[in-house]
Amino acid sequence: MTDERPFDELLHAREGDVGCDAGRPILDTYVEIELSGGDPSRQFPGTSIHLTVCAGCRADHDGLLEAAQLFGE
Amino acid sequence: MTVLVTRPTPVLLSLTHASTYHAVMASRRVVGEPPQRREHLLDAASRRWVDGLRADGQPYHQTVGALHAMLLRVAFHELGRRRTMLGVVSGPELDDLAHQSADDALVNILARLDDFRGASRFATWAYKFAMFEVSGKVARHAWRRNPPSTEELSWERLPDSLAPKPGDAAERREQLDLLTSAIADDLTERQREVFLAIALNEVSIDVLACQLRSSRNAIYKNLFDARRKLRHCLAAAGHPLTPAEEVE
Repeated sequence: MTDERPFDELLHAREGDVGCDAGRPILDTYVEIELSGGDPSRQFPGTSIHLTVCAGCRADHDGLLEAAQLFGE
Repeated sequence: MTVLVTRPTPVLLSLTHASTYHAVMASRRVVGEPPQRREHLLDAASRRWVDGLRADGQPYHQTVGALHAMLLRVAFHELGRRRTMLGVVSGPELDDLAHQSADDALVNILARLDDFRGASRFATWAYKFAMFEVSGKVARHAWRRNPPSTEELSWERLPDSLAPKPGDAAERREQLDLLTSAIADDLTERQREVFLAIALNEVSIDVLACQLRSSRNAIYKNLFDARRKLRHCLAAAGHPLTPAEEVE
Protein backbone atom coordinates (compact mmCIF):
# COMPACT_ATOMS: atom_id res chain seq x y z
CA MET A 1 0.00 0.00 0.00
CA THR A 2 1.26 3.50 -0.74
CA ASP A 3 1.00 6.22 1.88
CA GLU A 4 -1.22 8.25 -0.41
CA ARG A 5 -3.73 5.48 -1.02
CA PRO A 6 -7.16 6.80 -0.07
CA PHE A 7 -8.88 5.23 2.91
CA ASP A 8 -11.91 4.56 0.73
CA GLU A 9 -9.82 2.23 -1.44
CA LEU A 10 -8.07 0.61 1.49
CA LEU A 11 -11.44 -0.06 3.14
CA HIS A 12 -13.33 -0.88 -0.03
CA ALA A 13 -16.45 -2.86 0.96
CA ARG A 14 -19.50 -2.36 -1.23
CA GLU A 15 -22.98 -3.45 -0.29
CA GLY A 16 -24.36 -6.08 -2.65
CA ASP A 17 -21.02 -7.86 -3.08
CA VAL A 18 -21.95 -11.56 -3.30
CA GLY A 19 -18.45 -12.89 -2.67
CA CYS A 20 -16.31 -15.35 -4.59
CA ASP A 21 -18.38 -18.54 -4.65
CA ALA A 22 -21.52 -17.00 -6.15
CA GLY A 23 -19.68 -15.94 -9.28
CA ARG A 24 -18.06 -19.26 -10.10
CA PRO A 25 -21.05 -21.03 -11.65
CA ILE A 26 -22.06 -18.06 -13.77
CA LEU A 27 -18.65 -16.72 -14.81
CA ASP A 28 -18.91 -18.23 -18.31
CA THR A 29 -22.32 -16.66 -18.85
CA TYR A 30 -21.04 -13.37 -17.47
CA VAL A 31 -18.12 -13.39 -19.92
CA GLU A 32 -20.31 -14.24 -22.90
CA ILE A 33 -22.64 -11.36 -22.15
CA GLU A 34 -19.58 -9.11 -22.26
CA LEU A 35 -18.38 -10.65 -25.52
CA SER A 36 -21.74 -10.02 -27.12
CA GLY A 37 -21.57 -6.36 -26.12
CA GLY A 38 -24.08 -6.64 -23.29
CA ASP A 39 -23.89 -5.47 -19.70
CA PRO A 40 -23.52 -8.43 -17.31
CA SER A 41 -24.09 -6.20 -14.29
CA ARG A 42 -27.79 -6.08 -15.18
CA GLN A 43 -28.13 -9.84 -14.79
CA PHE A 44 -25.43 -10.40 -12.19
CA PRO A 45 -25.10 -7.19 -10.16
CA GLY A 46 -23.52 -8.86 -7.14
CA THR A 47 -20.75 -10.49 -9.15
CA SER A 48 -20.17 -7.28 -11.05
CA ILE A 49 -19.54 -5.47 -7.77
CA HIS A 50 -17.40 -8.32 -6.51
CA LEU A 51 -15.14 -8.28 -9.55
CA THR A 52 -14.24 -4.64 -8.91
CA VAL A 53 -12.86 -5.57 -5.48
CA CYS A 54 -11.56 -9.17 -5.49
CA ALA A 55 -8.25 -9.50 -7.31
CA GLY A 56 -8.43 -13.31 -7.35
CA CYS A 57 -11.83 -13.48 -9.04
CA ARG A 58 -10.90 -10.63 -11.35
CA ALA A 59 -7.87 -12.61 -12.55
CA ASP A 60 -10.10 -15.62 -13.26
CA HIS A 61 -12.58 -13.44 -15.09
CA ASP A 62 -9.90 -11.71 -17.16
CA GLY A 63 -8.32 -15.04 -18.05
CA LEU A 64 -11.63 -16.55 -19.10
CA LEU A 65 -12.56 -13.51 -21.16
CA GLU A 66 -9.21 -13.66 -22.94
CA ALA A 67 -9.42 -17.41 -23.53
CA ALA A 68 -12.94 -17.13 -24.95
CA GLN A 69 -11.77 -14.37 -27.28
CA LEU A 70 -8.60 -16.16 -28.36
CA PHE A 71 -9.67 -19.77 -28.62
CA GLY A 72 -13.37 -19.39 -29.41
CA GLU A 73 -15.33 -22.47 -30.59
CA MET B 1 -2.38 -41.30 -9.97
CA THR B 2 -4.95 -42.84 -12.26
CA VAL B 3 -8.64 -42.07 -12.07
CA LEU B 4 -11.34 -44.11 -13.72
CA VAL B 5 -13.95 -41.91 -15.34
CA THR B 6 -17.05 -44.04 -15.75
CA ARG B 7 -19.47 -41.80 -17.62
CA PRO B 8 -20.67 -42.33 -20.26
CA THR B 9 -18.15 -45.09 -21.01
CA PRO B 10 -15.05 -45.95 -19.02
CA VAL B 11 -11.90 -44.13 -20.01
CA LEU B 12 -8.61 -44.06 -18.17
CA LEU B 13 -7.06 -40.67 -17.66
CA SER B 14 -3.65 -40.15 -16.19
CA LEU B 15 -4.26 -37.59 -13.48
CA THR B 16 -1.78 -36.19 -11.07
CA HIS B 17 -3.90 -33.94 -8.89
CA ALA B 18 -7.37 -35.39 -8.45
CA SER B 19 -7.66 -33.68 -5.05
CA THR B 20 -8.75 -30.53 -6.85
CA TYR B 21 -11.68 -32.46 -8.24
CA HIS B 22 -12.86 -33.37 -4.78
CA ALA B 23 -12.41 -29.79 -3.58
CA VAL B 24 -14.48 -28.44 -6.45
CA MET B 25 -17.18 -31.06 -5.98
CA ALA B 26 -17.36 -30.23 -2.29
CA SER B 27 -17.87 -26.52 -2.84
CA ARG B 28 -20.97 -26.50 -4.98
CA ARG B 29 -23.25 -24.53 -2.66
CA VAL B 30 -24.01 -21.22 -4.28
CA VAL B 31 -25.58 -18.12 -2.84
CA GLY B 32 -26.06 -14.62 -4.09
CA GLU B 33 -26.78 -14.75 -7.80
CA PRO B 34 -30.04 -16.04 -9.31
CA PRO B 35 -30.02 -19.74 -10.22
CA GLN B 36 -29.35 -20.50 -13.89
CA ARG B 37 -31.58 -23.48 -14.39
CA ARG B 38 -33.25 -22.63 -17.68
CA GLU B 39 -32.42 -24.85 -20.66
CA HIS B 40 -31.07 -22.90 -23.64
CA LEU B 41 -30.97 -23.83 -27.28
CA LEU B 42 -27.44 -25.01 -27.94
CA ASP B 43 -25.38 -23.54 -30.77
CA ALA B 44 -24.01 -26.03 -33.29
CA ALA B 45 -20.52 -26.24 -31.84
CA SER B 46 -21.81 -26.73 -28.30
CA ARG B 47 -24.21 -29.40 -29.51
CA ARG B 48 -21.31 -31.28 -31.15
CA TRP B 49 -19.31 -31.20 -27.91
CA VAL B 50 -22.20 -32.39 -25.76
CA ASP B 51 -23.28 -35.09 -28.20
CA GLY B 52 -19.68 -36.30 -28.48
CA LEU B 53 -19.27 -36.49 -24.72
CA ARG B 54 -22.53 -38.43 -24.42
CA ALA B 55 -21.67 -40.82 -27.22
CA ASP B 56 -20.17 -44.28 -26.90
CA GLY B 57 -16.97 -45.79 -28.20
CA GLN B 58 -14.76 -44.01 -30.69
CA PRO B 59 -16.80 -40.78 -31.02
CA TYR B 60 -16.66 -40.35 -27.25
CA HIS B 61 -12.92 -40.97 -27.04
CA GLN B 62 -12.24 -38.61 -29.94
CA THR B 63 -14.29 -35.87 -28.30
CA VAL B 64 -12.55 -36.36 -24.94
CA GLY B 65 -9.18 -36.17 -26.70
CA ALA B 66 -10.15 -32.99 -28.52
CA LEU B 67 -11.48 -31.43 -25.32
CA HIS B 68 -8.32 -32.29 -23.42
CA ALA B 69 -6.18 -30.73 -26.16
CA MET B 70 -8.29 -27.59 -25.99
CA LEU B 71 -8.05 -27.40 -22.21
CA LEU B 72 -4.30 -27.87 -22.43
CA ARG B 73 -3.97 -24.91 -24.82
CA VAL B 74 -5.99 -22.75 -22.46
CA ALA B 75 -3.96 -23.92 -19.45
CA PHE B 76 -0.64 -23.09 -21.12
CA HIS B 77 -1.95 -19.69 -22.17
CA GLU B 78 -3.23 -18.90 -18.70
CA LEU B 79 0.00 -20.02 -17.07
CA GLY B 80 1.79 -17.57 -19.33
CA ARG B 81 -0.63 -14.83 -18.32
CA ARG B 82 0.10 -15.51 -14.65
CA ARG B 83 3.87 -15.90 -15.02
CA THR B 84 4.63 -13.05 -12.60
CA MET B 85 3.02 -15.12 -9.82
CA LEU B 86 4.78 -18.27 -10.95
CA GLY B 87 8.31 -16.90 -10.87
CA VAL B 88 10.96 -18.82 -12.71
CA VAL B 89 9.10 -21.88 -13.98
CA SER B 90 9.71 -23.44 -17.35
CA GLY B 91 10.28 -26.70 -19.12
CA PRO B 92 9.00 -29.86 -17.44
CA GLU B 93 7.62 -28.05 -14.40
CA LEU B 94 5.50 -25.73 -16.54
CA ASP B 95 4.38 -28.66 -18.68
CA ASP B 96 3.41 -30.54 -15.54
CA LEU B 97 1.32 -27.65 -14.22
CA ALA B 98 -0.46 -27.29 -17.55
CA HIS B 99 -1.18 -31.00 -17.84
CA GLN B 100 -2.38 -31.27 -14.24
CA SER B 101 -4.72 -28.34 -14.85
CA ALA B 102 -6.10 -29.79 -18.07
CA ASP B 103 -6.48 -33.26 -16.53
CA ASP B 104 -8.37 -32.00 -13.48
CA ALA B 105 -10.52 -29.67 -15.56
CA LEU B 106 -11.48 -32.57 -17.82
CA VAL B 107 -12.51 -34.74 -14.87
CA ASN B 108 -14.69 -31.93 -13.54
CA ILE B 109 -16.27 -31.29 -16.91
CA LEU B 110 -17.16 -34.93 -17.42
CA ALA B 111 -18.60 -35.15 -13.92
CA ARG B 112 -20.69 -32.03 -14.40
CA LEU B 113 -21.77 -32.38 -17.99
CA ASP B 114 -25.42 -32.52 -16.94
CA ASP B 115 -25.00 -29.07 -15.36
CA PHE B 116 -24.26 -27.52 -18.75
CA ARG B 117 -27.48 -25.93 -19.95
CA GLY B 118 -26.23 -23.81 -22.79
CA ALA B 119 -26.34 -20.44 -21.04
CA SER B 120 -22.89 -19.93 -22.61
CA ARG B 121 -21.04 -21.72 -25.38
CA PHE B 122 -19.76 -25.11 -24.28
CA ALA B 123 -16.16 -24.06 -24.89
CA THR B 124 -16.45 -21.03 -22.60
CA TRP B 125 -18.07 -23.20 -19.95
CA ALA B 126 -15.23 -25.72 -20.29
CA TYR B 127 -12.50 -23.06 -20.26
CA LYS B 128 -13.86 -21.90 -16.94
CA PHE B 129 -12.85 -25.21 -15.35
CA ALA B 130 -9.35 -24.91 -16.76
CA MET B 131 -9.17 -21.35 -15.45
CA PHE B 132 -10.07 -22.39 -11.91
CA GLU B 133 -7.56 -25.24 -12.00
CA VAL B 134 -4.74 -22.99 -13.20
CA SER B 135 -5.70 -20.36 -10.65
CA GLY B 136 -5.53 -22.82 -7.76
CA LYS B 137 -2.33 -24.48 -8.91
CA VAL B 138 -0.51 -21.21 -9.52
CA ALA B 139 -1.50 -20.02 -6.04
CA ARG B 140 -0.19 -23.19 -4.41
CA HIS B 141 3.00 -22.97 -6.41
CA ALA B 142 3.49 -19.31 -5.42
CA TRP B 143 2.78 -20.11 -1.79
CA ARG B 144 5.32 -22.95 -1.70
CA ARG B 145 7.91 -20.78 -3.41
CA ASN B 146 7.30 -17.62 -1.42
CA PRO B 147 4.94 -17.96 1.57
CA PRO B 148 3.87 -14.80 3.41
CA SER B 149 6.41 -13.68 5.98
CA THR B 150 5.67 -13.40 9.69
CA GLU B 151 5.80 -9.63 9.36
CA GLU B 152 3.14 -9.67 6.68
CA LEU B 153 0.74 -11.58 8.89
CA SER B 154 1.34 -10.33 12.42
CA TRP B 155 0.38 -7.15 14.21
CA GLU B 156 3.45 -6.77 16.32
CA ARG B 157 4.36 -3.39 14.99
CA LEU B 158 2.65 -0.61 13.07
CA PRO B 159 3.09 -1.13 9.33
CA ASP B 160 5.08 1.66 7.72
CA SER B 161 2.09 2.39 5.52
CA LEU B 162 0.05 3.40 8.57
CA ALA B 163 2.73 5.48 10.26
CA PRO B 164 1.99 9.22 10.13
CA LYS B 165 4.43 11.25 8.01
CA PRO B 166 5.79 14.70 8.83
CA GLY B 167 3.78 16.32 6.04
CA ASP B 168 0.45 14.71 6.90
CA ALA B 169 -2.46 16.99 7.70
CA ALA B 170 -3.89 16.80 11.20
CA GLU B 171 -7.06 15.11 9.94
CA ARG B 172 -5.12 12.35 8.21
CA ARG B 173 -3.02 11.79 11.32
CA GLU B 174 -6.19 11.47 13.35
CA GLN B 175 -7.67 9.04 10.83
CA LEU B 176 -4.49 6.96 10.87
CA ASP B 177 -4.56 6.84 14.67
CA LEU B 178 -8.21 5.81 14.66
CA LEU B 179 -7.63 3.18 12.02
CA THR B 180 -4.63 1.76 13.86
CA SER B 181 -6.59 1.53 17.11
CA ALA B 182 -9.58 -0.07 15.38
CA ILE B 183 -7.37 -2.68 13.69
CA ALA B 184 -5.85 -3.58 17.05
CA ASP B 185 -9.01 -3.45 19.17
CA ASP B 186 -12.09 -4.02 17.03
CA LEU B 187 -11.14 -6.76 14.55
CA THR B 188 -11.10 -10.44 15.38
CA GLU B 189 -7.71 -12.10 15.20
CA ARG B 190 -8.53 -13.67 11.82
CA GLN B 191 -9.94 -10.40 10.42
CA ARG B 192 -6.80 -8.57 11.53
CA GLU B 193 -4.52 -11.19 10.02
CA VAL B 194 -6.37 -11.12 6.69
CA PHE B 195 -6.68 -7.33 6.53
CA LEU B 196 -3.02 -6.88 7.37
CA ALA B 197 -1.84 -9.37 4.77
CA ILE B 198 -4.08 -8.42 1.85
CA ALA B 199 -5.01 -4.77 2.32
CA LEU B 200 -1.81 -3.48 3.86
CA ASN B 201 0.89 -5.87 2.67
CA GLU B 202 -0.60 -6.86 -0.69
CA VAL B 203 -0.35 -10.61 -0.18
CA SER B 204 -2.36 -12.47 -2.84
CA ILE B 205 -5.74 -13.65 -1.54
CA ASP B 206 -5.12 -17.12 -2.96
CA VAL B 207 -1.64 -17.38 -1.45
CA LEU B 208 -3.08 -16.34 1.90
CA ALA B 209 -5.83 -18.95 1.54
CA CYS B 210 -3.11 -21.58 1.08
CA GLN B 211 -1.21 -20.29 4.09
CA LEU B 212 -4.27 -20.31 6.34
CA ARG B 213 -5.63 -23.58 4.89
CA SER B 214 -8.80 -21.80 3.93
CA SER B 215 -10.66 -20.89 0.75
CA ARG B 216 -10.67 -17.73 -1.31
CA ASN B 217 -14.32 -17.15 -0.46
CA ALA B 218 -13.77 -17.51 3.29
CA ILE B 219 -10.75 -15.21 3.24
CA TYR B 220 -12.68 -12.67 1.19
CA LYS B 221 -15.51 -12.74 3.72
CA ASN B 222 -13.01 -12.03 6.51
CA LEU B 223 -11.58 -9.13 4.51
CA PHE B 224 -15.01 -7.73 3.67
CA ASP B 225 -16.16 -7.87 7.29
CA ALA B 226 -12.91 -6.30 8.50
CA ARG B 227 -13.18 -3.43 6.05
CA ARG B 228 -16.81 -2.80 6.91
CA LYS B 229 -16.05 -2.80 10.62
CA LEU B 230 -13.17 -0.35 10.17
CA ARG B 231 -15.36 1.96 8.08
CA HIS B 232 -17.94 1.97 10.85
CA CYS B 233 -15.27 2.76 13.43
CA LEU B 234 -14.07 5.74 11.39
CA ALA B 235 -17.63 6.95 10.84
CA ALA B 236 -18.50 6.62 14.51
CA ALA B 237 -15.47 8.75 15.37
CA GLY B 238 -16.57 11.50 13.00
CA HIS B 239 -14.58 10.48 9.91
CA PRO B 240 -17.09 8.92 7.50
CA LEU B 241 -15.62 7.92 4.15
CA THR B 242 -18.85 8.69 2.28
CA PRO B 243 -21.79 11.00 3.06
CA ALA B 244 -24.00 7.93 3.49
CA GLU B 245 -21.84 6.79 6.40
CA GLU B 246 -22.22 9.98 8.40
CA VAL B 247 -23.40 9.26 11.93
CA GLU B 248 -26.03 11.60 13.37
